[in-house]
Amino acid sequence: MNHGPTTLAEDVADSGEEAALAVKDLNFYYGDHHALHDITMDFPARQVTAMIGPSGCGKSTLLRIFNRMYDLYPGQRATGEVMFDGVNILENTVGLDVLRARIGMVFQKPTPFPMSIYDNIAFGVRLHERLGRAEMDERVQDVLTRVALWNEVRDRLKAPASGLSGGQQQRLCIARSIATRPEVILLDEPTSALDPISTARIEELLDELKEEFTIAIVTHNMQQAARCADRVAFFYMGGLIEVDTADRIFTNPRQKQTQDYITGRFG
Amino acid sequence: MSETAQQMARATKQRWHQGGRARRRQVLDRIATGTSIAAGVFLVLVLLSILWTLLSRGLAGISWATVTHSMGPPGSGGGLGNAILGSIIQTGLALAMAAPLGLFCGIYLSEYGGKHNHFASVVRFVSDVLMSAPSILIGLFIYQLVVVPWGHFSGFAGAVALAVLAVPVIVRTTEDMLRLVPTSMREAGAALGAPRWRVILSLCLRSARQGVLTGILLAVARMGGETAPLLFTSLGNQTWSLRLDKPMASLPVAIYQYAGASYDDWVQLAWAGALLITCGVLMINIIVRLSARR
Repeated sequence: MNHGPTTLAEDVADSGEEAALAVKDLNFYYGDHHALHDITMDFPARQVTAMIGPSGCGKSTLLRIFNRMYDLYPGQRATGEVMFDGVNILENTVGLDVLRARIGMVFQKPTPFPMSIYDNIAFGVRLHERLGRAEMDERVQDVLTRVALWNEVRDRLKAPASGLSGGQQQRLCIARSIATRPEVILLDEPTSALDPISTARIEELLDELKEEFTIAIVTHNMQQAARCADRVAFFYMGGLIEVDTADRIFTNPRQKQTQDYITGRFG
Repeated sequence: MSETAQQMARATKQRWHQGGRARRRQVLDRIATGTSIAAGVFLVLVLLSILWTLLSRGLAGISWATVTHSMGPPGSGGGLGNAILGSIIQTGLALAMAAPLGLFCGIYLSEYGGKHNHFASVVRFVSDVLMSAPSILIGLFIYQLVVVPWGHFSGFAGAVALAVLAVPVIVRTTEDMLRLVPTSMREAGAALGAPRWRVILSLCLRSARQGVLTGILLAVARMGGETAPLLFTSLGNQTWSLRLDKPMASLPVAIYQYAGASYDDWVQLAWAGALLITCGVLMINIIVRLSARR
């Protein structure tokens, strides 16, 4: 195989592990602006893959392709292939509601809905499933427990979610996205608006969540990538420069650009 | 202290005390602050003097009979009850027509009418023009549209005129408030697989509800105080009437009718009516403030 800068990466990417998301020859355009160039990489199932790179390198753009977020905006389009459960999700025949239930997303700033803590969780679930009262209660408790929020909010489930702290809100958003039982969770700089303690809690949480979910996380914070990720992909100017195990990227990257970036020489 | 140190100290002092320029700035600052405060005080005084005049002249005319008795001939001990009821009926009916229309129109402009949507630009422009149109023109317009074909004045026509007045206010506030809802809210809703209508109704409108409600209440306050659109539409009525197809009394029209009269008891009632309207509008504004604070 030879598509330019990604060949080196592929040698490692094809490590024989089951890929939850397989990206091939992916290009993305904001109107006339060609934002992503021929991306090819795998996201192995039940691992944390971190995407790093300077601002504007295309890492968030890539993340937003996986749940077809770009569909909200006319003029944005993607070509190529993103295989998920045997289907190319870029095709128009894919049902977006089902896709987004199976591939959840958490954003940079916590986005609690203007309703109670309980309803924040139930809102997403009700879109896809008809649950009885008891089952819904159980689901809410289950996901809140898994994000380590249950003990903090069990007495005020009916209180507005806006009353929670920033870190709690972000954990609520994670709970909300796992409540629809997705297979993949996309995180777009989930801790950049949080204090160090809340950040540490979210990072711990990722470690637990990866036993069940495939996780793709965009981060500006290289320590975070080193701490949480199994694999790290480095992007620069809309291209994938290198993807490898976190160990390898941070100790012995193959590309000079990667080395320059992680040692802080640019970006 | 050595000589160099003294020089340095002097230089520092000069840098921090720039003499004339600093003083000029201070003076200008005082003038600007003083003018602003004076303007504020003046405005409050004007409002207070209006309120004081209303209270001192109107309070005497307010009694139980003002609310329970209908208007009547001079000297008959009439009240304003039918005008109060008429105002409530017409404003309520107008609100029932204007609120849904304005709400949906505002949603359309904010959620579907982007910058490059020509139709939305036209709707927005027309709505803004309507908002600043003289209310007497709206009265004449409804006169032509409803009163002339029906052949008589009616409470319904009055309500329609008030609704035309209220719609643009509701459209504008709804659009503005929905635009304040961050994009991240819409994206977060979509990311869970929610369809667009659901995101708009359950998330956007819900988080903007406080502002939207404020806009609707302000529209009510505006309708409650308008006279001109009612002059050619509901006309006014001296007696109790619940019939929407007949002329209907309203407080502003009653005030208009009584204030210029040469009978003392009518003039007294006009003051009382003015006080009632002012209190009503004031109350709505206070409710808006209080609910916005929550």
